[in-house]
Amino acid sequence: MSNLSSYSQALQQLLNSYASDQGRDELFNQDGQPDVRWQPVLQVLEELGLDGLAERHEEVQQLLHENGVTFNVHEDDLGQLRSWELDPLPYVIAGHDWDLLEAGLIQRSRLLQALVDDLYGERQVIHEGLLPPELVYTHPSWLFAAADGNQRPEKPRIIFQGMDVYRDLQGQWRLQGDWTQAPSGAGYALENRILLSRTLSNLYREAPLRRLASFLQAQHRCLASLASDHRGEPNLVLLTPGPGSPGYFEHAWLANYMNFSLVEGDDLVVRDGQVSMRTLGGLKRVDVLVRQVTDPWCDPLELSSDSLLGVPGLMQAARRGEVEIANALGVGVLEHPALSLFLPKLCQRLLGEELLLAGPELRWCGEEDHLIEVLNNLEAWQLYPIHQPGQLLDPKQLSLDEQQALTTEIRQSPWLFTARKPAQASTAPSFDARNQVLYPASINLRFFCLTDPEDRQSRVMPGGLAWVGEPGTPVMQSQTVKDIWVLAPVPQPHVSLLRQAQGPILVTRDGRDLPSRVADSLFWMGRYGERLDTKARLLRETLGQLLDDGQLPLETTLLPDLFTALKLPLPPEQPPLAAARQFIQLREWLMTLFTDQAVDNLPWLFSQFLRNSRAVRDHLGDDAWRVINNLRQKFNGLNGNLGVNSARRHLEDLLVQQAAFFGFCNETMPHHYGWRFMDLGRFIERLLSSLELLKLALVTARQPGIPLWEVVLATTDNLTVYRRRYRSQLHPSAILDLLLFDESNPRSVGFMLKRLHQQLEELPRQEGSPFRSQEHRLVIEASSHLHLVDLDSLLDIENSQAAREALQAFLDALLLPLSQLSDALAHSHFSHVEKPRQLVSLQT
Amino acid sequence: MEYLLEHSTRYQYAANVTLSHNEARLLPRNLPWQTCKNTQLNIFPTPLRQHERRDFFGNRVVYFAIEELHSSLEVTVTSQVTTYAPPQFQYGTGPTWEEAKALLAPGSHKHALAADVATLEARIFTLDSPFAKRHSQLADFARNSFSSDRLLIDALQEFNQRIFQEFTYQPHFTTLATPVLEVLENRKGVCQDFAHLAIAALRSLGLAARYVSGYLETQPPTGQEKLKGADASHAWLSVFIPGYGWMNLDPTNGILPNQRYITLGWGRDYADITPLKGVMNGGGHHHLEVAVDVLPQNP
Repeated sequence: MSNLSSYSQALQQLLNSYASDQGRDELFNQDGQPDVRWQPVLQVLEELGLDGLAERHEEVQQLLHENGVTFNVHEDDLGQLRSWELDPLPYVIAGHDWDLLEAGLIQRSRLLQALVDDLYGERQVIHEGLLPPELVYTHPSWLFAAADGNQRPEKPRIIFQGMDVYRDLQGQWRLQGDWTQAPSGAGYALENRILLSRTLSNLYREAPLRRLASFLQAQHRCLASLASDHRGEPNLVLLTPGPGSPGYFEHAWLANYMNFSLVEGDDLVVRDGQVSMRTLGGLKRVDVLVRQVTDPWCDPLELSSDSLLGVPGLMQAARRGEVEIANALGVGVLEHPALSLFLPKLCQRLLGEELLLAGPELRWCGEEDHLIEVLNNLEAWQLYPIHQPGQLLDPKQLSLDEQQALTTEIRQSPWLFTARKPAQASTAPSFDARNQVLYPASINLRFFCLTDPEDRQSRVMPGGLAWVGEPGTPVMQSQTVKDIWVLAPVPQPHVSLLRQAQGPILVTRDGRDLPSRVADSLFWMGRYGERLDTKARLLRETLGQLLDDGQLPLETTLLPDLFTALKLPLPPEQPPLAAARQFIQLREWLMTLFTDQAVDNLPWLFSQFLRNSRAVRDHLGDDAWRVINNLRQKFNGLNGNLGVNSARRHLEDLLVQQAAFFGFCNETMPHHYGWRFMDLGRFIERLLSSLELLKLALVTARQPGIPLWEVVLATTDNLTVYRRRYRSQLHPSAILDLLLFDESNPRSVGFMLKRLHQQLEELPRQEGSPFRSQEHRLVIEASSHLHLVDLDSLLDIENSQAAREALQAFLDALLLPLSQLSDALAHSHFSHVEKPRQLVSLQT
Repeated sequence: MEYLLEHSTRYQYAANVTLSHNEARLLPRNLPWQTCKNTQLNIFPTPLRQHERRDFFGNRVVYFAIEELHSSLEVTVTSQVTTYAPPQFQYGTGPTWEEAKALLAPGSHKHALAADVATLEARIFTLDSPFAKRHSQLADFARNSFSSDRLLIDALQEFNQRIFQEFTYQPHFTTLATPVLEVLENRKGVCQDFAHLAIAALRSLGLAARYVSGYLETQPPTGQEKLKGADASHAWLSVFIPGYGWMNLDPTNGILPNQRYITLGWGRDYADITPLKGVMNGGGHHHLEVAVDVLPQNP
């Protein structure tokens, strides 16, 4: 089969047109024939053809988009929607190649463990002149506070790490970089495998590739076993910098997958020496902290004092063994790119072995001869400034002046600069969906290595994340990612990866141990979602009125009142306009609600809703999340040139999606505290907006009367109910009954108050307190106003000024306690403690 | 000399503090020329947790956390300190400053002379640190004392003298945030500023210098009795002479520290040896009082 001639003509053509004219391509062996390891892939290509492959490609992108793990938070919430593409063609590694690579990666992991233990312990490698101190001590992740004389710790400092590899033109694996602090990409690798096994199910079921599920089980086991000294069921949390960080969605995904609580620095506090999580039910001790926050930001007491991401006292808690941190604080210094230059000698010294995996071609300007070489031909190099993590400078892109400034900077502190020669990697077939061709793409590979805390044995995930780009291209900058296949001698049983790799079942996620911050975000997600809904309904009705009456003199229409309800000022006064011109002006004015980012307009409301949903990503089901992604796409596509009818259609669509979202939440979220806070948010918002609207329609409107009441009923989606029940003209007393008192109507104030009351009853209370909470009292106050009101005094609002005043007083009496409800809830449950701050240091 | 050292720091907060995590570097370390006996650290309110360790530079650090509601914090250290003559550095001995610089240069681990651990360990003090960064103006300032082929020990003594003579000791003119370049321009400051300035200038020449925090016994004006609490913390610097060790300089007083100096600890600059730092919840504004006594004990 490895002979080209044994493939069908179509495939032969395809391969002939696969222009890998330069360098080295993984598809072909030395004889120029497709290597046998690609056979399953080629077979699928043969079966599907390029058309079929394009179809699958489309399907994969759809799934990728919906699952949202690649949700890119770099851009504005409403900016261009961009996530990378997942190539349906994997990168294939033969079994014997893998053995070599795996051995090299495991050696690398052992070497880094030994090195970091020495650096934070006795520092022999520095004292023996094997590693220059300037290299170590200037790295931002070098933590003096972690070098506190502790000898080799009982547990490995690195549990889980990532390693970037490429294959050079000679076919040698080269280790391009290490990720020891917060290795990212494992979530993406898994997600890619899951999506592709769904899309190319036959291929993935039958191909003899190594499976990933057992690795993940092992990862969970290793992390949990870090807590072996602690009593009882260990509590594992994943510390994320928060929704603003580029890796946030992977953090949420991993936390869910591993069944950890996703926490931010503010959720944690060190008390009585222990690290605890602030939850609705009080403090809950944390045993293992899986951190995704980089070293310098983890503890404002001992590390960067301006950190808002960290937890004061965390270092000390870790030092005392009160909490296990994976990976240990300070290991980020191993990510120094120039370390690779010193590893051959260090490997000899620390392990007594030859280093198996070479690094890329590097120079470290801290060495005089390297410095001279780099400065002699600056444009031939790319530079990593170690004090600016994540930066790669390309002098070719700089102006002469900038190059001059860079040269001065390098001369001033040469040890801060590591130079790299742009390298070439071997290529592998990738699918270009737009042009429907195969092309040879330069590939980067990230592998993941796990070290067992009990026996210190390391293992490598037999697969990983591949991405297209020159060696060293950051994964986030790549357009295309790929699955990595490691071939096994025989087909391996397919184990579903879908949420099966969890460890022992832990206590429920949504009970009293719900982080207070999560409750807060769920509450506001509910409020903003509801406010968005109300706004969309009002706008829809307003646009309807505009169609009907937009060309009549403005003051004779309902439009001024509806603009008030929308909190939109009328367009500035102008000389009397032609009717058609007025219509256009009003339409444009209303369309700003779609496009303008100002507070309380639709895009702003949506971005607030999105921000809060994102902060609780791990509490939302995938279906609910899919709706959010759809909405996000819709908002991205909006522009101000909508016609009135198409704008109405957009709004109706928005309403349906919102209903779907909250429907999914109601159907899939456990009806515990988290859900209750979301529901409270929704109903508080809905109550407030209903009352405001009633007040406008019945009391304060310029044009009170039947047409406006009709709009109110339509806005609250009650028009049909009303018509069915009364089959008559609109009458204020019937409207009041339907919207205020009828507890069987889900949109009535009576119903909503009852709902709030029920939800509040179920919230955690302060133990032992016999008193009702403030929020309880506020709801009771509003309810009693509702129940005790003298209905007769309100009925004649059409004719009696006194009735109108009584109604206004009544509505205000309802609004007052309800408007205080939100703050009362926040005070009782969200415990927004003051941010910790620094004691100002004293001076001599 | 024998001294009774007492250093107390008191913070009074405008609002209650609910939780505070702190680090104190207030316990003097033992040295070949200094022994400390009966050292005690008293903290009020009494911390729930208190642990001592050595930091990277070998200083004694006490971590403590106070978890009860408090509106003031008082930290007092007392110690009986005996001091002896510190290592002496003779005029006319040791390497030239250029030789020292070459031995301390990065990459110099390749040649055998520099392979001694002390020199390797000293190299961290040639690097920039938050309060003492290298700069060409500082190098220019220092170079007047560092003519070519001059012996390092001789040059340092002159440099020490020059800062003492050209700068005015003036409290409250600078703050902790005043950059050394501003101190250089205004030629005014306190001991901390002069130490940082000297360190940054010596680093700008490629030498290794560290910040030393401690105390100095002060003498009352003749005929007056010494006032209680009138002493103060002091700061000076220490410079590495390859093959010889660390030489202390006190540019604030223009002398080489002697038996009347008590060493608390050292670091790259003030940030490494801050006497008391903390992160707290609550507190609002605060008022600070510090009292230091260095009382000579009659044998």
